[in-house]
Order: sequence, then C-alpha cells, then structure tokens
Amino acid sequence: MSSAIRSSIRFLLNDQTVELSGFAPDLTVLDWLRIERRLTGTKEGCAEGDCGACTVLVGRMIDGMLTYESVNACIRFVGSLDATHVVTIEYLNRPDGELAPVQQAMVDLHGSQCGFCTPGIVASLQALWLSDPEPGVKDVERALQGNLCRCTGYEPIVRAALAASKIEPDEDNDRLVRAREETARKLIELADGARVEIDHPEGKTFIPASADDLAEIYEANPKATLVAGSTDVGLWVTKGMRAIAPVIFVGHLTDLQTIEETEEGLKIGAGVSYSMARGAILSQVPQLAELWDRLGGEQVRNMGTIGGNIANGSPIGDTPPPLIALGATLTLRKGSARRTLPLEDFFIAYGKQDRAGGEFVESVTVPAVPEDAHFAVYKISKRRDEDISALCAAFLIELDSDSHVATARIAFGGMAGTPKRATHVEECLIGARWGWTAVQAAQAELENDYSPLTDWRASADYRMRVAQNLLTRFFLETSGAPARLDTSEPLMMEAGE
Amino acid sequence: MSEQMSPERMSPETQTTFPRHVRHGSNSGQPVSRRDGRLKVTGAATYAADNHPEGLLHAVIATSTIARGRVRSLDVEAAKAHPGVVEVITPANRMPLHHDPNEKMPPFGFRVEVLQDDTVRYVNQPIAVVVAETLEAATEGVRLLAPRYEEEDARTGLDNGLRHEAQSVGVGAPGTVSFGDLDAGLKGAARVTEGDYSTPPQYHNAMEPHAVVAEWDGDTVTIDMPNQALRMSAASYAAYFGIPAENVLIRSPFLGGGFGSKAILNGPQILGILAARQLGRPVKLVLTRAQMYGPVGHRGRTWQKLRLGTGDDGKLTALHHHSIGATSSFDDFVEPAANASLMLYESPAIRVEHEGLRLDIGTPGPMRAPGEASGSASLEIAMDEAAEACGMDPLAFRLANYAETQPGTGKPFSSKALRECYEQGAAAFGWAGRPLEAGTMRDENGFLVGWGMGTAVFPCPQFPAEARATLRADGTALVETGGADMGQGAWTALAQLAAESLGLDLDKVEFHSGRSDLPDGGVAGGSGHTASAGQALSNAGGDVIARLTELATGDPDSPLFGAGNIGVVAAEGRLHRRDDETRSQSYADILARAGQKELVGTGKSGRDPASAEAFAMHSHGAVFAEVKIDPNLMQVRVSRLVGAFAAGRIINPKLVRSQYYGGMIWGISFALQEEAVADRRTGRIMNADLAEYHVPVNADVPRMEAILVPEEDPRVSPLGIKGVGEIGVTGTVGAIANAVWHATGIRVRNYPIRIEDLLRRR
Repeated sequence: MSSAIRSSIRFLLNDQTVELSGFAPDLTVLDWLRIERRLTGTKEGCAEGDCGACTVLVGRMIDGMLTYESVNACIRFVGSLDATHVVTIEYLNRPDGELAPVQQAMVDLHGSQCGFCTPGIVASLQALWLSDPEPGVKDVERALQGNLCRCTGYEPIVRAALAASKIEPDEDNDRLVRAREETARKLIELADGARVEIDHPEGKTFIPASADDLAEIYEANPKATLVAGSTDVGLWVTKGMRAIAPVIFVGHLTDLQTIEETEEGLKIGAGVSYSMARGAILSQVPQLAELWDRLGGEQVRNMGTIGGNIANGSPIGDTPPPLIALGATLTLRKGSARRTLPLEDFFIAYGKQDRAGGEFVESVTVPAVPEDAHFAVYKISKRRDEDISALCAAFLIELDSDSHVATARIAFGGMAGTPKRATHVEECLIGARWGWTAVQAAQAELENDYSPLTDWRASADYRMRVAQNLLTRFFLETSGAPARLDTSEPLMMEAGE
Repeated sequence: MSEQMSPERMSPETQTTFPRHVRHGSNSGQPVSRRDGRLKVTGAATYAADNHPEGLLHAVIATSTIARGRVRSLDVEAAKAHPGVVEVITPANRMPLHHDPNEKMPPFGFRVEVLQDDTVRYVNQPIAVVVAETLEAATEGVRLLAPRYEEEDARTGLDNGLRHEAQSVGVGAPGTVSFGDLDAGLKGAARVTEGDYSTPPQYHNAMEPHAVVAEWDGDTVTIDMPNQALRMSAASYAAYFGIPAENVLIRSPFLGGGFGSKAILNGPQILGILAARQLGRPVKLVLTRAQMYGPVGHRGRTWQKLRLGTGDDGKLTALHHHSIGATSSFDDFVEPAANASLMLYESPAIRVEHEGLRLDIGTPGPMRAPGEASGSASLEIAMDEAAEACGMDPLAFRLANYAETQPGTGKPFSSKALRECYEQGAAAFGWAGRPLEAGTMRDENGFLVGWGMGTAVFPCPQFPAEARATLRADGTALVETGGADMGQGAWTALAQLAAESLGLDLDKVEFHSGRSDLPDGGVAGGSGHTASAGQALSNAGGDVIARLTELATGDPDSPLFGAGNIGVVAAEGRLHRRDDETRSQSYADILARAGQKELVGTGKSGRDPASAEAFAMHSHGAVFAEVKIDPNLMQVRVSRLVGAFAAGRIINPKLVRSQYYGGMIWGISFALQEEAVADRRTGRIMNADLAEYHVPVNADVPRMEAILVPEEDPRVSPLGIKGVGEIGVTGTVGAIANAVWHATGIRVRNYPIRIEDLLRRR
C-alpha cells in the first residue's frame, strides 16, 4: 500500500476541479449539489433511487477508457466521488450554449411536461447517446428504467431518444466529447494512489488506496460500513436515518473490479458493477440477460455491485438465486487470509451471513453452464421494470442420455429468509425421467422447501403457486415452449416501422 | 390477431388536420413546442424548493406514526439541544392563527392540521415542526422528538368505519340524484345485471414533492410554492395570518405536477409559512415522499354497487349507481363516483347515491378526474356486463344507449361528437370482428388476448379569470395572468391564445404568469384552465385591438380612417381594412401617431349563465384497449390503447395529445397498478414510496394512439375550448378491465386488477 494519506477528495464538477475535506461520511451527492453548490437543476423526487429525478452523470476511468454513467445522486455519497467527473444538467448543453441534441429532441418532441423529471431523463438519455450510436426502443427503455415520469410522457421521451441518436456526439455538440482527453488525463492524475481519510464529527471516511489497503483498514475498523454502490446503504441513510460511520468506500478500487476467466469459471471482483459485468456474464450465461436488464434501473446497475448484492444478504437480492443454481463460489478476505465457500453457504439466516468482522467479499466465481444443461432464471415482480422481486427463481438441470435428471440445482429468492436452494425439489427430480409426472411431484416438494411469507408484494399462496408454475414453465421451455410476456419484443415498436 | 394491428406504433402528428381557426398570422391551433422547454431541459426552470433566500432556515415536519389518538409527549428538549436546531414548534408554542383551522374556508376550503391541538387523526399528520440552520439538523431534531402516543384503534375499513349519508360530494355536488322511477325500470327490465365494485386509495405522487419557501417582511410575505390556484390560495393564506390578501405574493412559475394535490391548501405548507413568521427568518419546508401520503390529499377509496336493467332491445330501463366513499374523521370530501352515471347513457330511470365512510385517514381530495375516474371505472364494467347479458357487442350496446340529450334532465348537449369518437376509435383499433365470447383470442406466442372498450367523459368548466394585455410602442405585447403550468402547457397554449387575439406572432408576445400579483388566472384544475385563463387573455387582447381600432379609425391621416370597428382585421402586427387588406397600419405606427407609449386592455372570463343553464357541457371520448396475458402466470400487459376524444377547439395538438396519452397511462395505472395498502391494525400505509407504490414505468406503456376528433362548440365559450387534462383517465380504466375479461372470461370488479384475482378464479 501507499504510505501517503490525503485528507481531502478531489474530483471534477462540470468544468471545475473540486477539493473537499471535512465532509460527513453520509453526505449525499444530491444534497451537496443542491444545498452547497446551489446547482438546483438536479431534482429530488424520492431520495431513495426510485424516481431518477436526481440523475447525474459520473465519469470514471474503466479499463483505461473515460466512461460516463448515469447514477442516482440522491443515494450516492460524496465520499465516492474521488477522481471522478460529476456532470449535472447545467453542463449538458452544447459548448456554444445551444441545446444539445438530446435536449433539443426532448423539446421538439414534447418529452418534457411538468419538467421535474426532465433533468434526470435528459441525463439518462445523454448517457445512452454518448455510449450507444444506434439504440433501439429496447435500449431506450433500458436506459429509462430508472426514471419515472408522472405526467407519463414516456412515448414522446422514447421518440426523443431515437431522434437524438441520429446525430452523433462530436466536439461541437458535446462538451464531454470535446474535453475527453483532457478530462481523462486529469482523472488519471487525480487518482494518485493515496489513501484518503476524512474526519468529521459524525465519523470517519476512509477511501482505501487498494484492496490490500482496504483489508488493512477494515481489519482495524471491523465495525465500519463498507460502501460500494450505495444502492442499499444509501437508503439506510435517506430513509432509515441510520448513522453509518465510519465508512469505507470501495467502489473505486480497480483491483476489485477485475473479471477473469479461470478454470473454475468467471471470476468477478466484488466491486464490479452490474453494468461492467454485463458483457462478460451474458456472454458466458446468456440466460441471465432478462434478469440482468431488470435489476433496478440503469442508474442502480451503474452503481450497484455484484459483491454488494451478495454481501448485503437480502432474501430478495436478484443475483444470488441464479448464481447459487450455477454453483458459484465466494471468496472472502480478512487481512491477508482468504477463504472460499459455496455461495449458498454464505447465507445463514435472515440478516446473517458467514462473514467475520473485518472480512469482506473479494470475488465471486461463476461456473459456466454445463454443456447440454438447461438453465433459466425468472424474476417475478408486479411492475415490469424497476421493481423489487416478489420472487426470483433459478433452475439448472442436466439430463443423462436417457432423459433422466442427472443433476438439479434450483434456488429461489423471496421464498425464505435467505436466498435458498430447493433441496427437496432437487432430490425429487434427480434420477426421475424429465417429464410432466416428475415435474408435478417436484412441485409438491416446494412446500417442503419453503414457507414463504405474505407481504404487500405478494401473498404466501401466490408465491408458492407461482414458484410451482415457474417449474412448469421451465419444463415447457426445455421442451420448446414459446416466449414469455416479459421477454417478448417491446410493446412500443420502432418509429416508422 | 396481431396482423390486424396498424403497423404504426406512433400516432403520426399529421394524423388529424385542423382548420387553423385563425385570423392570419396566428399561432393558435398549431403544434407549437412548449415555450418553457428550453428551461426545463437545461435545469434552469425553477421549482419552489430550488429557492434559497439569504438567511434561510430549514423546517422539517414531524409526522404521526399512529392513525388515531393523541400525542402524549415529545422530547422537545432533546431536539432543541441538537446543534443547529433553532426552534421546535408544537401545539404548546405555535403562534396563533387568525382563522380557525378546524373551520373550512370557502370556496374549496378543507380543515387542516396545523398543530391546533395534540389530537392525531391520521398517520403522517404533522405533530411538530423542527426548524434548524441545516436540513440535516432539522431532520435529526425530528428524530430526537421521539413522540409517545395514547393510541386508539384505527378505523381502516368498511367493518369499523362510520357510514353516513353524504349530503354533498366532491366540491359541492349533491349526494343523491334521481330521475324517473327506478323500481319500475328494474321491474320492467328483461334482465337486470348487478355487481359490487371497489377502487383503492390512490396518491397523486406528483414528481415534485410539496414545498414551500416563505419569507416575511413585516406583514407581507413572499411564498414560493407549487400552486394550482394562486389568487385563491393567496387569499386563504392571508386569512390564516390576518393580513390583507394583497400582502401575500405566491410565486409558482413551474409545478412539478399537481394532479389536484396542489390546488388545495394543506397543513404542512401553512406550517412552513407560519414557521417563517414565528421565527422572523425565511424558511424552507419540503415534504419527503413518504409524508405525501396523508396531509396533501388522495383519491379516496370507494365501494360501489351498480344495477342495470335492460330491455329486449338492449336499451337501459334503469341505472342505479351507489357509492360509498372513504373520507376522514374530520372532513367531508367524498369521491363523487356515482355521478359518472349522470353523464353518459340514456335511461328512463337513473338513481345515483353516495355515502361517506369515516376512517382514520387524511382527507381525500380531487385527484385527476375526481369522481369520473372511479365512477366510470365501475360503470364501464357494468355496461360491459349488461352488453354480455344482452348478447351484444359492447360498442353496439353503448350506441344503443347513446344519450342524445343529458340523461335525466333532457338538456341538450352544447356539443357531443361522441359518435364520431366511437367510429374513429373503433376503426383505428380494428374493433370490427371482435369475437363476442371471452377467452377465444390468442397471439402467436400463446398469450391470451382481449379487447375492451370504455366511454370517456369529463365536464368542461369555465372558471372566472382575468387578464391584462399591454401593447407596447414597438408593436410587441406583454400579456399577463396568474395562471399555473403544472406540465399541461399553459405557458405555451395561453400565449398562443393571447397572440391570436392580438394579431401578433407568438414571438412578439411576452407572457407573464405563475404569480399571484398578476390578474387572477383562476384555478388550474377541472380541465378548465385553458378555457378560463385563455378566454380572459383572448378578451384582453380583443380589448386592446378594439381600443387600437378606435385610435386608427378616428385618425384622419390613418389609412384606416372611417373603417369603423367592424371594418378592420388584426394580423401580423397591423390593422387591415376588412374590405381592402392592402390598406393597413402597423400597431407601432398607430400608437406613435396617437402619442401613446402603450395601450392596455383587460379581459375577463366566466361562463355565460344562460348558456350554462341551457346546455350540458362535456368533453367525450372512446377508448379501446388490448391486453395480453401470460396464461401460466396471469401477468397482464396492456399492449395497445387507442383513444379518440372530442373536446372542442384544440389550441395546441402537441400539448393536447400529451394530455391524452398521460390520462390514458393513468388509466393503465388505475386498472393494473396503483394502490396504497394500509396495515389494517395501525392504519399505516405500507407502500408509501415510489418503489412500492407503483406508477407506470416506461416499459408499462404500450403502443398508443390518441385521435383528436374535431368538434366546434360556440356555446361553451366564445373560443369554444373544452378541456383535455383529465378525460383520458376515464374511459381507459374500464376498457382495460373489460379487455381482461375478454381475454380470460374472468370479471374482476376490484381495482387494481391483480394476478391473484385471475389465478384464483380460474
């Protein structure tokens, strides 16, 4: 580790370099922008990452490339901004002050009504525009998943996004493109490899220099809160009013952001965001595509990490069920000691994980789907997008040459206090001929595996019934059943089609 | 079925062409882009909470966590001891008000909770206000109050609420209306269909939380707040604080959505203004999302019963609509749901009745299409059930019961192009050939497919409003009215009307609005703002042109001399002789020759009482919906929506189409998503946030088409404008429910339609 310790963070805000010290560990980016900097174009609609009115862009170096991502300023902490470029709505117009293509299209096509969600929507669409030269309706929908519009002008907004995509970003129409090289140079310069420690009456903020440094700090401060994407911890603060200090930020640690192909499978660093992992994981497990694109909204996927989703231990986290079914393993680190365990063993009980004080999730290794195996994952939620799962189911089975079930790994979220395997169902299926009779028998076994609870997302009966029906659907799909409502083409079709 | 879909997902802007309705040079009738668009896409549009006067204090309200009882203690000392906390306002030290908050204030007054005592009447009622130097300190101060309560059992439903006959419903409509002999109509019917229906509590959830920034200077106060009724609110605030109305300046240039929730005074905003006065410093108070579930109104829950008698000819013989509407324990807003049955279908006997049900909840209020949304949601299902019983196509059945005059009263409609809406909507949707029987359509993926329809209706009020137009020496104009743009486009449509009346291009007209010190722009509600403020502006412009004409035609050196008032046309900044348009004079020239720096005209709006007495006035529409349902999971998706609406003269089709889309999407939301779920034991709403209270996301929105059916109506107002903001909700809800039935054969009569309803009853 580096011996240098800084007592301030440094980052870019629009066209300025900012140096900040002495801030609270739970100071949100949104409060800082609106109250301290009086940059009030960015709005607060919910303060919990649901509505997207607070969306700003954060640029960071990913694999040597300056990449701008949409994020929720309301649940992101200022302490996570070191060596990034924060871009707000006030800075998205063209260098000559005229409206940028996305903004102009939003005006021309009537994508703004009351206008309160508009800055966030412009920011989300700007991120899409910068990164995707030819988005289809589905891509636009994905980019907008985390933005609510209560005037419900969605159709004009989609049209605006498609219209803007006809104009390529260039140095004349976009400030970020114009300053790209200089910005990248500055960000590299700002990331000087020093540890940062910020003191504040509410508690201390640590920004480790590296994963090794993290191990050291965490071992010395085992009560600290680790903050990666803050898509959950953010709500502890804004909604739960919890004190979280001391805080160790880990989202910037590039040595936790590696994705490696190993003999055991794809080894994903705990700090890899859903967005960063998307390409690699979907090329290895294409069946995860629908789930991956329905995790939160784009802002949440840009911030949230797979490691955080696991370490958090939520019974309704969306990645554990498929990862358990795939046989993923987890590597934990404490100091310099590491241990690896099957992911399913990590979840002990509701709110309780197999993680010692000062120990953190370092990586998760996801084996490939065995050749000829059937694998599927289903997220069931009330709302099509941006909704917490009522339940999440993952099925993996391998058949022998005689169409008998050789292996079965089945896991559910939302059916118990933890993400959990359906061992009775698995036992019932193994050795049986993969057919309707076996499926029916296995469905009955679900009741031995789970006693789900009733809440406002779903009743216990519904959860059980759907869990059973999902097994039916999985069976039908292995026998060539047609598409699902959620994966069928977008209901909105391409303009001019 | 899918090949019958029109290949065009987007409704082309050019689909409906309009006469320009214009004198020339006018922008009215054109799809002008919103004038505030630039401000909004750059973040420069200022909303209330964006204001930050020097010396600002932050106020956070503490809200009750029980539904009924009293606050026994608050740890005021602990809160006050927290660094940064300036004051804790409780019933013990709250400064007196000049108006009793337990007394309603006309015209749309509600009783409000402003710490008048320690009683708790609903969850999220304000019980204290903590004011501090920072938002953080105020928030922490609230936490430190650690309230203790004496809690009584919460009354949360039909089983324990207090039922009572509702004398009046909504904002002053009668609770019971009866025409003809209902019993005879039912007895004489060939068949009677009846059903019980319910609609859930819904919350406006405008994207912008309610906010107030108040700054006092002696006995005058400047208030930044989102507000749908500026002058009326200013007068009310003045009454609470015992100052003249003109001492209150409300600034509300942009509202981040309102939907009715920002038309009514509420306790938290009064408390923000009060805190500023009590502490002598500017105060900002912004509600959290969760705090919007209680003190700022909602669409009240209803339980409805409908009985329809039909004859062998498929005509209604009787229509009985009874509704119980939940209201608070201390105020009387009852959702006027059953009144929807007074507007739509011909029947020799109609009876509508309302009861109120007192619960320990915040007082409901108007929410986009109050009454009509909830009432037509049920009525349209009932109509479908009656059509089914008669073996008739739902559209044919509605046409058989088409009301040529207002049901019951027999009053003629001022205009009613509903038949055209049915025709054009059905044609665009491809309704013809729809199988009568349910559960027969599947798409290529095996999903169940259903088609349903509903009739849309909403009254078109014209409120009193005033405006001023000032023609300036350079030939440009300043027009002013204290209107409110909550997203519908008042900044644009009202300016278009003003420009038209002045014979000026839009870019020559500077429009001031959104302040209470301007001429009274009336209420932006009831879908009546364009008709009301627009008429006032138009009259003000007309007044200017009349005065200008007088100057010009009386000037011997003017080319218009002697043309007389009737003989000129205003266009493109000039007056032209009507009989010879080559003879003209510019406004600037006329003013210069008359030696006038400017010329001021004023205008008022208000419905002609004779016309109001003689005619029934409504906007109409027809909505056609297609749903697809996964037969295994019974997940429902709306896959297509076509609405055709006739709403008088259309000032800006681009804005109007958005209003229709928005309304129809609210219909999807009503039918399938929105519902606040209260814990029956505590009365606490379990999903008081945007994660769990579901409003539609982009992906919930299907292929949509909004058809603007031309309609001229000189009787509603000289401009012939009806209203478009709310009607889209009304037909859509029932259309979707009916499509769900058509796909599955299952009649769900309780909204929102749940997967469980469809699974359980298979």
